[in-house]
Amino acid sequence: MGDGAEIMDMSHGEEKKLVVDRISDEQVEKKELVGSVDVRDIEEEVFEEAIGSQEVPKTESFETEDLPLEATPENSKAEHEVVDLEETSSDERGLKDLKVDYSVVGESHGEVNVHDITTKEAEPDFVTPKMNDGKGEAGADISYGQTESSSGAVENSEKTTSNGSSLAAEDVNMENGNIHSFSENGIVSLENKELVPEGVSVSAWSKETEENVHVSAGIGTEQEVGEGKGTTKNCSEKGLVCTDNESGAQKNGETSAVFSSVKSASGDKSLDDSIEVAGAGTSSPLEKSSTEEKGETVGHSSSGFPGVTSREHGTVQNSNGGHDVQQSLQPNKELENQLGSRVDIEPEITESPHVEREFEVVSSVSPTESRSNTAALPPARPAGLGRAAPLLEPAPRVSQQHRVNGNVSHNQPQQAEDSTSAETDEHDETREKLQLIRVKFLRLAHRLGQTPHNVVVAQVLYRLGLAEQLRGRNGSRVGAFSFDRASAMAEQLEAGGQDPLDFSCTIMVLGKSGVGKSATINSIFDEVKICTDAFQMGTKRVQDVEGFVQGIKVRVIDTPGLLPSLSDQHKNVKILKSVRAFIKKNPPDIVLYLDRLDMQSRDSGDMPLLCTITEVFGPSIWFNAIVGLTHAASAPPDGPNGTALSYEMFVTQRSHVIQNVIRQAAGDMRLMNPVSLVENHSACRTNRAGQRVLPNGQVWKPHLLLLSFASKILAEANALLKLQDHTPGRPLAARSKAPPLPFLLSSLLQSRPQAKLPEQQYGDEEDEDDLDESSDSDEESEYDQLPPFKRLTKAEMAKLSKSQKKQYLDEMEYRSKLFMKRQMKEERKRRKMMKKFAAEIKDLPNGYSENVEEERSEPASVPVSMPDLSLPASFDSDNPTHRYRSLDSSNQWLVRPVLETHGWDHDVGYEGVNAERLFVVNESIPISFSGQVTKDKKDANVQLEMASSIKHGEGRSTSLGFDMQNVGKEMGYTVRSETRFNSFRKNKAAAGLSVTLLGDSVSAGLKVEDKLMANKRFRMVMSGGAMTSRGDVAYGGSLEAQLRDKDYPLGRCLSTLGLSVMDWHGDLAIGGNIQSQVPIGRSSNLIARANLNNKGTGQVSIRVNSSEQLQLAMVALVPLFKKLLSYYSPQQMQYGQ
Amino acid sequence: MDGQGFVSMAALQMSREWLGIQQFPPATQSKLLEILGKYKEEDVSSLTVVVMGKGGVGKSSTVNSVMNEKAAAVSTFQSEGLRPSLVSRSRSGFTLNIIDTPGLIEGGYVNDQAINLIKGFLLNKTIDVLLYVDRLDVYRVDDLDRQVVNAITDAFGKEIWKKSALVLTHAQFSPPDGLNYDLFVSRRSDALLKVIRAGAQLKKHEIQASSIPVILVENSGRCHKNDNDEKILPDGTAWIPSLVNTLTEISFNGNKSIHVDKKLVDGPNPNERGKRLIPLIFAFQYLLVMKPLVRAIKSDVGRESKPAWEVRDSGSANRRS
Repeated sequence: MGDGAEIMDMSHGEEKKLVVDRISDEQVEKKELVGSVDVRDIEEEVFEEAIGSQEVPKTESFETEDLPLEATPENSKAEHEVVDLEETSSDERGLKDLKVDYSVVGESHGEVNVHDITTKEAEPDFVTPKMNDGKGEAGADISYGQTESSSGAVENSEKTTSNGSSLAAEDVNMENGNIHSFSENGIVSLENKELVPEGVSVSAWSKETEENVHVSAGIGTEQEVGEGKGTTKNCSEKGLVCTDNESGAQKNGETSAVFSSVKSASGDKSLDDSIEVAGAGTSSPLEKSSTEEKGETVGHSSSGFPGVTSREHGTVQNSNGGHDVQQSLQPNKELENQLGSRVDIEPEITESPHVEREFEVVSSVSPTESRSNTAALPPARPAGLGRAAPLLEPAPRVSQQHRVNGNVSHNQPQQAEDSTSAETDEHDETREKLQLIRVKFLRLAHRLGQTPHNVVVAQVLYRLGLAEQLRGRNGSRVGAFSFDRASAMAEQLEAGGQDPLDFSCTIMVLGKSGVGKSATINSIFDEVKICTDAFQMGTKRVQDVEGFVQGIKVRVIDTPGLLPSLSDQHKNVKILKSVRAFIKKNPPDIVLYLDRLDMQSRDSGDMPLLCTITEVFGPSIWFNAIVGLTHAASAPPDGPNGTALSYEMFVTQRSHVIQNVIRQAAGDMRLMNPVSLVENHSACRTNRAGQRVLPNGQVWKPHLLLLSFASKILAEANALLKLQDHTPGRPLAARSKAPPLPFLLSSLLQSRPQAKLPEQQYGDEEDEDDLDESSDSDEESEYDQLPPFKRLTKAEMAKLSKSQKKQYLDEMEYRSKLFMKRQMKEERKRRKMMKKFAAEIKDLPNGYSENVEEERSEPASVPVSMPDLSLPASFDSDNPTHRYRSLDSSNQWLVRPVLETHGWDHDVGYEGVNAERLFVVNESIPISFSGQVTKDKKDANVQLEMASSIKHGEGRSTSLGFDMQNVGKEMGYTVRSETRFNSFRKNKAAAGLSVTLLGDSVSAGLKVEDKLMANKRFRMVMSGGAMTSRGDVAYGGSLEAQLRDKDYPLGRCLSTLGLSVMDWHGDLAIGGNIQSQVPIGRSSNLIARANLNNKGTGQVSIRVNSSEQLQLAMVALVPLFKKLLSYYSPQQMQYGQ
Repeated sequence: MDGQGFVSMAALQMSREWLGIQQFPPATQSKLLEILGKYKEEDVSSLTVVVMGKGGVGKSSTVNSVMNEKAAAVSTFQSEGLRPSLVSRSRSGFTLNIIDTPGLIEGGYVNDQAINLIKGFLLNKTIDVLLYVDRLDVYRVDDLDRQVVNAITDAFGKEIWKKSALVLTHAQFSPPDGLNYDLFVSRRSDALLKVIRAGAQLKKHEIQASSIPVILVENSGRCHKNDNDEKILPDGTAWIPSLVNTLTEISFNGNKSIHVDKKLVDGPNPNERGKRLIPLIFAFQYLLVMKPLVRAIKSDVGRESKPAWEVRDSGSANRRS
C-alpha cells in the first residue's frame, strides 16, 4: 500500500469518524435537543477535510493500478453532497424508508460491483459506506443516492468513484449479510444468489440491525470525547467501533464459513485476520454478481473466493484500519501491545511503515496493519492499560493466524489474558460474564443437539450482542460480539463430556385439564415422573418435578388442570392461587401454557380461563410464556376445499389463534408468544436417536427446551446488564430514560406560598402590607372628610346632562375607591388586632381560649357556598358554573370534585376528587395537605402534596414539602425544603433544595430566589437553580417583574414581564412573556399578552372585556350578516347577468 | 331439472334430490337403500334429525359426511354464524332433514342466543332424532358438557334424550398409552353418557328403558377405507350405514317424537304459575298475620299510661272547650 492511498484513507477515516460523530450528535439531538450548531460545524469540518484530501496525490499500492487523481475531488464532493443529504434527511424518517432503501442499495450494489472489479481499489469513499453504517435510518438512503451517482460516474469511467460507491454498497450489504445470517441460520445454502435478496428482504431483522447501527454511532460520540482527552483512550474506543463492524462481519464470516470451511483454512496469507474472514463473508453474497469477473481477479484470492471478494474486503480492512490508527494517536508500543494481545496478527505488521507517522493526517498506515489493529481491539480495554501493558505482551502472538479453524487453542490463553488485563474495568468484567453466558447458552444448545444456526440460538446470541451494545452505550463502551470465541469455548468444554452445567431452568406448566401437562413433563424427562390418567384429573395439586435432561438441571412445576367453563373460574382461581403460593419461593423462569393442537377452540372458549390466569398472576406472566401445543402429531383437519390442510398451515393457524387469544387476555397486543409443539403419544414417530419427531420433521423436545433455556439465558443477561423492563415483545424498549430534568427544575423554581396558620389564611402577604401602611393614613381621613353623598337612582340619572353624568360618575368612582381602601385598611387592622388578641389569649388560662375558639368556629358551621370553580373556556353560551356549586361544610376536610378540562360541553365533567386539609401542629406549625386522584378510561393519576412551614427567629421561615405524583408511568416523589429570609424590608431571599425520586433515578436540585420590592409599584422576583441526575445537569433561571397601579387592588393597571431560561445538554431554551392590563374607561379592561421563545414560536393575544358596552356583543352579528350576504350576492350576480 | 321436477321441488319445500347417496361406494349405497326401504314399509316419509353439541366438535362435518356433499359450511378455525341450517334431501319419496346447529358454547358459557335461535328455527317442527355430538379424543368431561346438556334439556324437555344418540367424532384415533381402543371408547362414552343422564334428569327405570346409543364417526378425509371403499372405523365397521341404521332404530324406538310448539319454545308462562294459591295466601295473611297484629295494637293502646304533661294538656283543652 502506497502512502498516497493511505493518506486518503486516513483523511477519510477522519472524515468518517466525524461523520459518525455527527450522526451520533444528530441522534443525541433527536433525543436530547442538542442544538444543530455543532452539527453544522462538524459538517464544515468534514468538508474541509474532504477538500484537504483532494489535494493529496495518491498512489495505489494495494493494486497495481493507479488511481486517477481527478477522481478524488469528485469523490470528496460527492461525499460532501452526501453529508448535505444527510443533513437534510430528518430523523423522522421511518423504518419503512430504511427497508426500501436497503433493498435499493442491494440492487444497485450488484450492478456497481461489476465495475468495481475492473477498477479495483479506492478506499477514499469508504467514508460513505461507513456513514451508512452508522447512520442507520438516513444513512441507507444516502448511500443509495451515492451509489446512484457513482454508478453514473462509472459510466464516465471514473473509476474511483464507482469503486467507492461499490464499497458503500458493499458495506450496506455487509449489514444485509449480517441480517441474513440471523434470519437464515440453519438454512444457509451454498447458493449465494439467494442470499442477497434474502438479506435484503428480511425486514424484521433489518430493523434490528438498524438499532444496532445506532448504537455504534452513539459510541462514535464518546469516542470523540475520548480523543479530546487523551489519545490512548481514543484508540481503544475506536477499536470498539470497529468491533462493532467487525462483529457484524464476524457473523458474516460465520455464514460464509458454512458454505466453505476450506476458505478460512486456506487463508489469504496476507489477509488472515478476522476482518478478512468477515470481508469474505460479506462479499459472498456478492458472488453472484461477481462471478463473471472472477477470472480477472482470481489472482488475489487464494481462498477460492472470487477475487472481488478479497479485494473488497481488503479495502474494508484498509479503511477500517486507516481511520483507526489515524484517529488514535498512540505510540507504537501501544499498537503493538494491542496486536500482541489479540488473536490474529498478521505477519505484515512488521512491514507496516505506518506506525510512526500516524499522528498527522499525512501519515500513512498500511492497511493490513491497521486491520490487525482493529482485530486486536474487540474487547474494549482501558486506554491507560493498553498503553502500559504492551511491553509485557509477548510479541510472538503476532504470528498466529487463521482464527476460525485454528482458534480454539489460541483463544483460551488469550481469554485469560483478556481477563487479567480487564480486571480493573468493571465493564470488562460484565462483558466477560456475558461471554460466559453466551458460552453457557451455546453449550446448552450443543447438548440439545442444536447448531448455532438454529433460529432460536441465533436470535438469542443476537439479542445478547444487542443488549451488550445497548449497555455499552449506557456505560462507556461496547464489547465485541465474540461469537467465534464463545462457540469455540463451548465446543471445547462440551468435548470434555457432559459435566454438570451451572444452569438450571424452572418451567411452570399451565393449561386446561386433559391437554397433557403431566404427560408432557414425563416426556421431557423421558420417564414416568407423574402418573397420568386419561379420564381422571391426574394432577390434584401443584408439585415439583426435578431431573436432568442431557445433564442440564430442569425443574418443572406441574399444576392441576384448569377448567374452561366460565362458571368454573372460581375453581381455577383457587387452583391458580395455590400455584401462586407455591411459586412464591422460587418463581419459574418460564411458563409453558399447554393446549391441544387438534382442538379448535374457535369460540374463544379459552378466554375466561386465560383471563383468570392473567388476573391471578398479572399480565406479566405472559411475557415469559411459551405456548405448547400437544397432540402435535395429530393429522390436520380438512380444509375448505375438502382436502386436508397442510401440517404447517394447520400449526400456523392454530398458533395464531392461541397467540391472539393470549394477547387479548393479557391486554397487550405486542405479545408474541413463541409456540412449541409437543407430542407425548408413545406411538409418535421417532428418529434413530429415539427422539420423537413431528410430522414436519421437527424434533420437538430440544426445541421446547431450547426455547425455555433461551428465555432464562436472556433473563440472566438482563440481570447482568441491569436492563429492566425487558419484555420479549419489545427487546429494545429497555433503555432506562433519564429523568425529565427540565420538568423537575421548573417545578422546583416555581415559587410556592408558604403554608400558613388558619388565622392568617385570608390575609394576603402581610409583610407586604407593612410596606403600604405608612402611606395610607392620610387617605383614610380623607374619606371621612368628604361631604355626604347620595347615590342617584336610575331615573334621576337619566335626567342629568352628559357632563353632569360624567362628573357624577367620576365622583362616585373616587368615593367608592376611597371607601374600599378604607375597608381594606379596617380589615387589616382587625386582623392585626386579632393577632394580638390571640397572642394575649395564649397567655391566659385555657378556658378562655376555648371559649374564643368556639365563638370562632360557630359561624363557620353555617353552610356557605364554596367559590365557583373556574371552568375551562368554551364557546358554549351556557355558563354551567352553577352545576358545579357546592357548599362549604364545617368539616375540616375540604373535598371537591376535579373538573375534567377536556370534556364535552354538556357532559358531567368530573374526573376525580380533590381533598385538602390544613392541620396545625403545636399551634404554630401549619401543615397543609392536599391530594387529588383523577381517573379516566386509560389511567389513574394520583397527586399528593404536603407542605409545612416553621418560623424560626424573626423573619426567617423554612418550609418543607413532600410531593407525590404520577410522571408518565412512574411515581415521582419529591422532598423539598426552602428557607426564606425576610430580614430586609425590600429584599427577600430564599434558598431551597429538592430531591426527587422518579422511577429508579434520583435527582437533586438547588435553587436560589430573590424578591425585590423597589417600591409600592414595582417588584421583581428572580430565581435560579440547577437540577442534576446521573451526571446530567440542567440549569434554569427565571425573572418576573411586576409593575402595578399605585393602589393595586383597586387600580387595575398591571404589567408583568416574565423571562425564563433553561439550559439542558447545551440546548438553551429561552422564553419570555409580557402581560399588561390597562383599564380603558370606567368599566372596560384591555389585556394584552405576548410570549415568545427562542425557538421562534410565540403567541399574542389581546383581550378586551367590558361590563358596559353591551353593544359589543353585536359584533357577533357580523359573521351572521356576512353569511346572509353571501347567500344573496350570488343571486344578484345572476340577476345582473 | 325439468318442469315436473320444479313442481315437485316446490311441493317438497326446498328438499332436493339426495344426489350424494349415489356418490357413496356401492356397498354403502345398498345398505342405505335397504334402511330407507324400512321407512317405506313403516310408511314414514320423512325423518328430522337435529345435530347439537359444542363448537368445533364436528357437527357440520358429520352432516356433510352423511349427506355426502358439502351441505354445511365447515371452517376449521372460525365459528360459523349463529343460525341453524336445514339440510333436506329426498330419495324416492323419503326425505331426510338434518338440522345443523351452531356450537352451543361461546366464551366459556352456554350461548343462550344460539339456543333461542335454534328453538325458533325448530318451531313447529318435529324432532325425530337428536344427535349429540362430541369428540372421542378428549379425555376429560367438564362443567361445560354439563351445561350444554342442561341447556338442551331446558330447551326441549328431558324427553328429547329418549330420542337421542351420542355421536363421537374423530373416532380414528389411537388412545393414549396403556389403553386399547375399545376400552377407551367405552370409558369416554360412559363419561359422557353419565353427564347426559344427569343433565336429562332421567329416572333410574327410564335409563334402563332407553339407553342412549353411541355412534362413532370419523369425518376426516384420511379416514381408513375397506375393500369396498367404505369409510371404516378402527374396528372395521363402516360407520355411515351404521349411523343411519342407528337413526332408524331411534326413530322407531317407541318413544314419541318431540314436537316443538309454541309452548315448548316459550316455556311455561310465569304469570300462570301459582295463580290458584293467591286466595289461600290472602286468607292466611288475613287470619294469621293481620288479625293478631291488630289485636296486639289495640291492647297496647288500651294499656298505655299517659305522661303527666299530656294529661294536663288534654285536661286544659277539655276545660277550654
